[in-house]
Amino acid sequence: MNEEHLLRVNNLTVRFPVKRQGGGLFGKSYLYAVDDISFEIKKGETLAIVGESGSGKTTAALAVARLVAAHEGRVELDGEDFLTLEDAALRKARAKVQFIFQDPYSSLNPRLRAEAIVREPLKSLTQTSKDEMSAIIDRLFEAVGLRPEQQQLFPHQFSGGQRQRIGIARALSTQPELIICDEPVSALDVAVQAQILNLLRKLQQDFGLTYLFISHDLGVVQHMCDTIAVMYMGKIVEYADRLSLFNNPQHPYTKALLSAVPSVDKKRRAQAKRVLIPGDPPDPINPPEGCRFANRCPIAEPNCSKSQPPLRDLSDGHKVACHLV
Amino acid sequence: MSALLEVENLRVEIATRDGVAPVIDDLSFTLDEGETMSFVGESGCGKSMTALAIMGLLPEKVGRVASGKILFNAEDLTQADDVRMREIRGNDISMIFQEPMTSLNPVYTIGEQIAEVLRRHQNLSTQQAWAKATELLDAVRIPNPKARVNDYPHQMSGGQRQRVMIAIALACEPKILIADEPTTALDVTVQAQIFDLLRDLGRDTGTAIILITHDMGAVAEMAERMIVMYAGRKAEEGPVDQVIDHPRHPYTKGLISCVPHLMATLTDERPELTEVRGIVPSLKEFGRDACLFASRCDSVTDKCRTHRPEEVEFKNKQRSACWFAESI
Repeated sequence: MNEEHLLRVNNLTVRFPVKRQGGGLFGKSYLYAVDDISFEIKKGETLAIVGESGSGKTTAALAVARLVAAHEGRVELDGEDFLTLEDAALRKARAKVQFIFQDPYSSLNPRLRAEAIVREPLKSLTQTSKDEMSAIIDRLFEAVGLRPEQQQLFPHQFSGGQRQRIGIARALSTQPELIICDEPVSALDVAVQAQILNLLRKLQQDFGLTYLFISHDLGVVQHMCDTIAVMYMGKIVEYADRLSLFNNPQHPYTKALLSAVPSVDKKRRAQAKRVLIPGDPPDPINPPEGCRFANRCPIAEPNCSKSQPPLRDLSDGHKVACHLV
Repeated sequence: MSALLEVENLRVEIATRDGVAPVIDDLSFTLDEGETMSFVGESGCGKSMTALAIMGLLPEKVGRVASGKILFNAEDLTQADDVRMREIRGNDISMIFQEPMTSLNPVYTIGEQIAEVLRRHQNLSTQQAWAKATELLDAVRIPNPKARVNDYPHQMSGGQRQRVMIAIALACEPKILIADEPTTALDVTVQAQIFDLLRDLGRDTGTAIILITHDMGAVAEMAERMIVMYAGRKAEEGPVDQVIDHPRHPYTKGLISCVPHLMATLTDERPELTEVRGIVPSLKEFGRDACLFASRCDSVTDKCRTHRPEEVEFKNKQRSACWFAESI
């Protein structure tokens, strides 16, 4: 075990049973939302999983946090096998992994005051005295930029950005090491996004946090992350550090994804060759035999539909799953 | 030659619990034939209200045009009655919405929904309308249109539904297409497909497009001219490239620099994002004789808090409603 890695995910697979005719002996078949993915995050760094809706990025995050059950695979947190922990050991480990959700409107209990929302994880996951809790909550409110008197307000009395600050304070309450941010700013107005992104980066520095960052917004990802995993239909298709991925993308899907982002930069617009990929992803219940991107891929060859390309290392950890790269 | 659409000193009021609030406050602009113009701003700044006012679709009994004119081919739409507006809507001016999931009727096939527009506005027979519907599906690049025309909305993906919406909107070859955040609910590769389609169709049919968005990248990619709205007022207007290169209003500046953009080449540097602190003022504040951006502006002065800035026009057609536009 490499000491500097806080999180190590190996061969993680999440599947959901689906009803479907002709699906095997008992009429059951499975949708593999996350299909055999592996990644790791160094302490204090940020890994982004990017991909479009249905790519499995959120499911992967939920599985890492044990909010959905993994079918196979191993999640190692600080050297501990997180997926097999139980009871007290699990509670202790859960305090180390916290979640920031996408929608600040539905992820806060409307009947609790802001202070009680932040207190909740402290109560259920830690053994902290009441006085200590109040002191922690005071500090958290200050750290996320909320005023002390706002502790007594209800969620509906806050703006979207402020609600997300409450969500962040809640995630910080148990002094976690890993925070999973699932599209933390995509429900917010652009001007407010900057406030939250700056806050997340400041907190990362102040508390030495490690982030698993889920996003579809490549501009935000570029700004926040050190390493990026690109997912397509449950698979990681490309995995690289920030500069390699954005300046030297290899997988045709990554190239298409990057070229699709509209940019204010004239130079980028001039040099970017728009790779338009036609159509939609195939049916996830019956994924194609070979490369899952083959039917939309601009450079696909007949062989691509025959076997699945493995994720292989090109150089210095830049990994790509494509037969033709 | 006069413009296709001329909005003059438009004021739209909305009844709230605390009284009447001007959600559009003294807005003037023009749109030429075949032009693509963009409205940008945060939510609650009046972008969608402008669209609804043009369409005559302001929420009944709540919102109304209090003063000003909306001249479409020299006809004042604010004075047009319901019958006339129904003729114009869908025929001369049409609109697509943010949510392709909820804008289509789930119990009719998409063919029926496209054909309905054609029967209503162009008096086509059922067969003719159906044939045209199939053609339109082909034009918006839905594969296998002859079969798909019989599909129900739930059988299509989000991107396909938005294409169907575009087919409906363009069925009568309108002069103006208003697209209100048409791709916000869609994935970025699908967004690229839709933008491509809108651009091509706009060029082929000569339809002018009003694109409402909060994404500066989309504006840069799609539009020739842009208007930045803030709290119901026009903050800035001008040719897109010039406004992005050199914004003349602190709000525009903030909107551009608060987003981490993808640039031509990425470097190791990741400076902190410029924040626009605070949020859009509440409706109570709208209409005050002051700069409504003052509470969030870094270079605010006393004058900003007590006098509404007048619009200044620069040589390059950029206009800005800031007391200090010249020195920005």
